[in-house]
Amino acid sequence: MALLQIAEPGQSTVPHEHRLAAGIDLGTTNSLIASVQSGSASTLSDDQGRDILPSIVSYQADNVLVGQTAQALSIEDPENTVTSAKRLIGRSLHDIQSKYPSLPYNFCGDENHPEIMTRQGAVNPVQVSAEILKSLNARAQAALGGDLTGVVITVPAHFDDAQRQSTKDAAKLAGVSVLRLLNEPTAAAVAYGLDSGQEGVIAVYDLGGGTFDISILRLNKGVFEVLATGGDSALGGDDFDVALVDYLIEQAGLVRPLSPSLERQLMQQACFAKEQLTAKEQVEITILLDDNSNWQTSLSKAQLNVLIGPLVNKTLRACRRTLKDAEIGIDEVIEVVMVGGSTRVPLVRTEVEKHFNKTPLTSIDPDKVVAIGAAIQADVLVGNKPDSEMLLLDVTPLSLGLETMGGLVEKVIPRNTTIPVAKAQEFTTFKDGQTAMAVHVLQGERELVDDCRSLARFELRGIPAMTAGAAHIRVTFKVDADGLLSVSAMEKSSGVESSIEVKPSFGLDDNQISQMIKDSMSNAADDMQARMLKEQQVEASRVIESVQAALLADSKLLTTDEIAAIENAIKLLAQVSQGQEVKAIENALDAVNDSTAIFAERRMDSSISQALAGQAVDKM
Amino acid sequence: MNYFQLFNIEVSFDVDIQELSSSYQTLQKTVHPDKFAHSSEQEQRLAVQKSAQINDAYQTLKNPLQRAEYILVQRGVEMPNEQHSFQDTSFLMRQMELREMLEDVKFSSDVDAALADAQTVLSNECTQLSQLMRTQISENNAASNLAACDNLRKLKFYQKLNVEVDRLEDSLFGD
Repeated sequence: MALLQIAEPGQSTVPHEHRLAAGIDLGTTNSLIASVQSGSASTLSDDQGRDILPSIVSYQADNVLVGQTAQALSIEDPENTVTSAKRLIGRSLHDIQSKYPSLPYNFCGDENHPEIMTRQGAVNPVQVSAEILKSLNARAQAALGGDLTGVVITVPAHFDDAQRQSTKDAAKLAGVSVLRLLNEPTAAAVAYGLDSGQEGVIAVYDLGGGTFDISILRLNKGVFEVLATGGDSALGGDDFDVALVDYLIEQAGLVRPLSPSLERQLMQQACFAKEQLTAKEQVEITILLDDNSNWQTSLSKAQLNVLIGPLVNKTLRACRRTLKDAEIGIDEVIEVVMVGGSTRVPLVRTEVEKHFNKTPLTSIDPDKVVAIGAAIQADVLVGNKPDSEMLLLDVTPLSLGLETMGGLVEKVIPRNTTIPVAKAQEFTTFKDGQTAMAVHVLQGERELVDDCRSLARFELRGIPAMTAGAAHIRVTFKVDADGLLSVSAMEKSSGVESSIEVKPSFGLDDNQISQMIKDSMSNAADDMQARMLKEQQVEASRVIESVQAALLADSKLLTTDEIAAIENAIKLLAQVSQGQEVKAIENALDAVNDSTAIFAERRMDSSISQALAGQAVDKM
Repeated sequence: MNYFQLFNIEVSFDVDIQELSSSYQTLQKTVHPDKFAHSSEQEQRLAVQKSAQINDAYQTLKNPLQRAEYILVQRGVEMPNEQHSFQDTSFLMRQMELREMLEDVKFSSDVDAALADAQTVLSNECTQLSQLMRTQISENNAASNLAACDNLRKLKFYQKLNVEVDRLEDSLFGD
C-alpha cells in the first residue's frame, strides 16, 4: 500500500526545481559572492578567475568601474574613486569626518545624508554599495546561469539599525532580493559548524578591514544560538594601516594636509608593508613624494607590533566583556574561529591564542569563510534543503530605547536579546492637558541621549487632554529577523494610534529609494512599471504555491465554506496574475490574504502544539 | 495561551532549564521566520510574531525573577511599580550597609579578596531570599503571594547591587 505523505509544517509540499541563491560578503575592503552547487558551498569567480572583488567604485566620465579596474584608478583619481564605502554607510557627516579626517572626497549633501561629489554628480554611500552588489549579482547570474531568487547579505554583528537599513536599501537599489541580513560572525560559525558538527560554546573573532566583531555561540544539533555579541563598528585592519601611515608621515617629516594622491599612496604602501610582514621580519618602503623625489625607510615586524599593539588590546577587552555578557567562562569555550583578512596579522593570532589559551581555527580561508556561511544559509532559506535542521538564533547587538525627561534613555530592549523580539513599554504625559508626545528612538548602551545614536523621531498626536501622568502611552518596539527595528505608539485609554511616519535620522527614506531606482533606469516610468509587475507576479506565485501546499496538508483545520472561499480567491489570483494589471494583482493578493488569515494562524498554532507533543513522544 | 502552556509545562517556580531550552529550540525550529523565508508575506509576518512571542516566553521562564513575577501577575497579584516606597526599614538599612561594603572594597589592602567576600555575602543573602520566595509561591494563597511579591522586590534590590559589583570589577581590573 502506498504511504500517504505528510509535509513538515511550514514546508512546501509542492516539488520544485533547485532555486538559485547566493551569499554575499559585502566587505569594507573586499567583497565576495558564494553559492551552494551540488551540495557544497564555494565562492564564485569572475571571468578572469578572481573571486575577491575589491570594494572600490570609480565614477568615470561615461561609465562606472567596480573592483580591480576601479582600484587601478584610486591613486591617480582619488576624488572620483570611492573605497571602503562600508565605513560611510548609515553615518552622519560629522561621524565620518571626526573618525576619518583625511578622506580625499568632496563631501556634499546635508549633515545626516552625506554624499560624495564625483564627476558623475553626487553619490551617496548606499549607491556606491549598490554598484558593488550589482557587479556581484551579474557575476553570479553568469556563473549559475540564471536570475537569483534571493541572496543573504552579511553585515558586521555590531552594525546599528541605520547601517543595516542602508545595506538593505543598497540591495533594493541594485535590484537584488534579500532573503536575510546575516551577522558576519554567525555566518562564519555556520561555515565551520557544519564542517565539524561540534557541540558546545565557540567564539568567533572577526577582524575585517573596517570592523571588529566578537560573538559567543552555543552549537547544539544544528541550532546556532548566539549568546552575546560585541565589538567595534569602527575598528579594523584599516586602522592598522592608519597607525602605520601616521608613523611614516612622522618619520618622513611630512606635514598634513597632504595631497589626496599622496594620502592614498601612503595608505596602499602601509597596507602592503603590513601584509609583507606576515611572512617577513623586515620590509623596505618607498614613497614617491609630490616633488617626484623618493623617500625610503625600512620597517620591522617588531616596530609594526608596537604600532598596532594598542588596537589589538582593544579587541581583547571587547572579548572579555562579551564573554561576561554571555555568562560564559573562558574555559568553557571549546573553539575559537578566526575570520577576516586582518586575522592574518601574526600579532593578532598570537594574542588571541594567548587570551583564549587555545589555538584558533583558521582552516577555512578567513577571506572566504563569511561568504561561504552566507551561501549555506541562503540555500536553506530559499527552500532547497527542506529537511535541514539548521537554525540560527541571533541577537540585537546594541540596546534600544527611548528618550525620557531630562535627556535620559530608557532601555526597552537590552543588548543581546534574541531576535525577532517585540517589547512594549508604557509612558505617560508630563504636563496637564498634553495632547502630543515626541518619541525619540535611540540605540546604544549609555544613559544620556547625547551619548547614544539617534535612530528616528516621530510624534504621537491626538492624545485626549488629561492631567499629567493620567495618559497611558504604550510604545512597542519590534526587531525582525534581519535585526531591523520598527516602532509604534498608542494611547491606551482612547485607542489613539499615531499614523507613525518613522523618519530615519540617517540613511534614506522609501521615497528617496524609489526615486533613485527610477533615476537609474533609462526608460524610467516603463521600467519601474515592469519591475513592479514582476515583483507582484513573483509574490502571487509564491502565495499560490504556499496556500495550495497548506490546503493539501492541513485542510482539516478548515470548514468546507472556508476551503471554498480560499479556493475561489486563489483561482482569481492565478487568473489575474497572468495579466499586466499591477493594481488588480495587488487586490487579488489582498483577497487571498484575507481569506487565509485565520487558516495561517491555526496552522502555526497547531504546528506549535504538535512540535512539543512530538518531543514528548521522543522522550518516552 | 500562557507561557507555561506554550512550553507544555506545569505552572511552577521550579523549571528544568535544560528541558526548557530543548523545548525552546524545538519550538523555534517550527516557527522561526527563517523557516518561512520562501513563504507568503502573510506567513512571514505571522512567523515573526510567533517567534518573538516564544523568545519572550523563553526569556521570562528562564530568568528566576522574571519567572516569579510572571507567575504572580498571572495570579492577579498587583506588582507595585519600582518608584513605590518600600516600608521595610530594616531591609533598607541592610541595603545601605551592603552599598557601603561595596564602596569600601577599593580601599581594602587586598582588593581581590574583599571583592570575593562581598560577592559571597550578596550571594548568600540572595539565596536565602529566593528560597523563601520559592516556598511562598508554591503555597499559593493570598497572603503567601503578597509575601512572595515583597521578596521579589527585595531580590530586585540585590540584582541592582550585582550590577554595581560588575561595574566595580570593571573599574578595578582595567576595563
